[in-house]
Amino acid sequence: MNSFKKNLLKKRYIAERRFQWYGKIAIGLALTFLAVFMFQIFSKGYSAFQKTWILTEVHYDKELLLIDAESPSKDDLENADYYDVAYKAMTSLDPGLPEEEDRQLIQMVSYKYETEVKDLLLKNPDYLGKIVPIKLTASDDVDQVHKGNYPRDIPEENRRVNDYQLQIYDMLNERGDILSEFNISFFTSPDSREAELAGIASSFMGTVFSILVCLAFSFPVAVLAAIYLEEFAPKNKFTDFIEVNINNLAAVPSIVFGLLGLGVLLAVFNLPRSTPLVGGITLSLMTLPTIIIAARASLKAVPPSIREAALAMGASNMQTTMHHTVPLSMPGTLSGTIIGLAQALGETAPLILIGMVAFVNTIPGTPVDPAASLPVQIYIWSESAERGFVEKVSACIMVLLAFLILMNLAAQIVRHKFEKKWS
Amino acid sequence: MSKIIAENVNVYYGSKQALFDVSINIAEKEVTALIGPSGCGKSTFLRCLNRMNDVIDICRVEGSIKMDDLELNSRQLDVVRLRENVGMVFQKPNPFPKTIYENVAYGPTIHGIAQSKEEMDQIVETSLKKAALWNEVKDRLNEVGTGLSGGQQQRLCIARAISVSPEVILMDEPCSALDPIATAQIEELIDDLKKEVTIVIVTHSMSQAARVSQKTGFFHLGKLIEFGPTDKIFKNPDNQQTQDYITGRFG
Repeated sequence: MNSFKKNLLKKRYIAERRFQWYGKIAIGLALTFLAVFMFQIFSKGYSAFQKTWILTEVHYDKELLLIDAESPSKDDLENADYYDVAYKAMTSLDPGLPEEEDRQLIQMVSYKYETEVKDLLLKNPDYLGKIVPIKLTASDDVDQVHKGNYPRDIPEENRRVNDYQLQIYDMLNERGDILSEFNISFFTSPDSREAELAGIASSFMGTVFSILVCLAFSFPVAVLAAIYLEEFAPKNKFTDFIEVNINNLAAVPSIVFGLLGLGVLLAVFNLPRSTPLVGGITLSLMTLPTIIIAARASLKAVPPSIREAALAMGASNMQTTMHHTVPLSMPGTLSGTIIGLAQALGETAPLILIGMVAFVNTIPGTPVDPAASLPVQIYIWSESAERGFVEKVSACIMVLLAFLILMNLAAQIVRHKFEKKWS
Repeated sequence: MSKIIAENVNVYYGSKQALFDVSINIAEKEVTALIGPSGCGKSTFLRCLNRMNDVIDICRVEGSIKMDDLELNSRQLDVVRLRENVGMVFQKPNPFPKTIYENVAYGPTIHGIAQSKEEMDQIVETSLKKAALWNEVKDRLNEVGTGLSGGQQQRLCIARAISVSPEVILMDEPCSALDPIATAQIEELIDDLKKEVTIVIVTHSMSQAARVSQKTGFFHLGKLIEFGPTDKIFKNPDNQQTQDYITGRFG
């Protein structure tokens, strides 16, 4: 081998190695960004899955409850006055406190503490007249102090928890009367203005309904459109024009679809505002081109020899398409659909425009009930000033990511399963 | 007796003419081989006989092709009925990605040939037997057809084609993707089949044409140069071009 050839070979090896390194660096960078992003979210959000309770005692005093009957019925308990009983349960934590300072203690639990006191008695009617221990939801400020997210060293006037409350908290904590448990209510409660009570049930259900509506509207339309365009439509200027437009539609910013939903679905058709029905239809406009493109690509990928085989057997165009081409293209179409839906899952802008940004403190049972959605919930909470919402935002992102990962996994599985069946 | 009579067939792909005034008489229950160099139009002609050229948008066929007095090159022709009568086997084995049974049962199903499950089983068995595949697959009819070997796949395609009892079977280089043993099996099969059906086969292998066919047509540059009994074409052709081609001097 002469030196020129040797040199050339050496250069080629070096170029190859260099190229591999570029690739490795690129992947490394991408993974680093992902790791930083995940670390950020997890480190901020994991504490949202813990809920802080304050343990105290409540005396279900018949007199204070204003119950006269000897053996009170369910209704009597329901209509009793729990204000004083609940109030006393909190103030008993520091009997020495002057009455006009009582609010400081009350502020340490959520404003719903009276309901919690009531619910415990309704669940256990035999507690009437007794002194029993009770868990009350700590206010988000105490919750943040307990989780160590709240700095204690800033001046008192800038703090939402004052020195007295910190002192009480420390006392309770020493006694073991501050409990930290898994935050079930984060998953079962709707949104709330109070961070300690806010949950994702409403937005989660809203997202589920939106996605289902989106699927129901976009999948059949998109698949039929793709089949017609790919298998039946003549290839001419007009169909080219349609194809270009579908591709353009896929690139239209989502907020434009939101305006369309606002202008047409709400203004013209008068569909109920802020509902997953409208949200789902709006999202389906976005998903439609994605599914059409995926379905057409997978129809195109079916080998022409299969079409020829069917046609040569005397199958009509329709039979060839329905018996052979479409079933063979289904794995690709389905995974394209799920990826389209996953995109729609993360959409915020169009949903804000059609009013799914409204504060909803009920859990929707049907697609025509008002609801939020997970990405919009993230948006709403990130706008809130209370410190308690910071971790909620990250927790909500985690739920959304889990949802996304599940969907993408489903896309993979569907693809795999069908492909096995057909080849 | 002639099964198919083609007269002055011209085929155009867009502005390009692929066949020039082809006239040919294909005899019933015989094997007719079409030979010629690549791109000479023999496959194009074959695809005129079951109207597979319809699939190609820019393809235009002129002239007359009659099968038993039925004009094939007519707008009124029911292509589905035609293809029930004229089966086709392609160059590359193309079984459906379904079970062996479903592959053979597909034609009878869409054409409503079998009345019952038993009748269908019978058709599948007969077709596979005629295609000399029955003994190899009878225990695994529910396995996918694409899992068979290349030669078996091609015989499955032949079984699929004969399942609807066509009068004519078109074969477009059916052995070009197969090894010599599989090729020999298919050739034997063609010999058996010609007792019942008319076969038109396009082939690149001149020895194959000589072995299986009774008549041979030689195509060159879109024209049918010579057509006659296989013996005569291979031993004593009239045309110099034919002579050159079969002796391997060009093509």
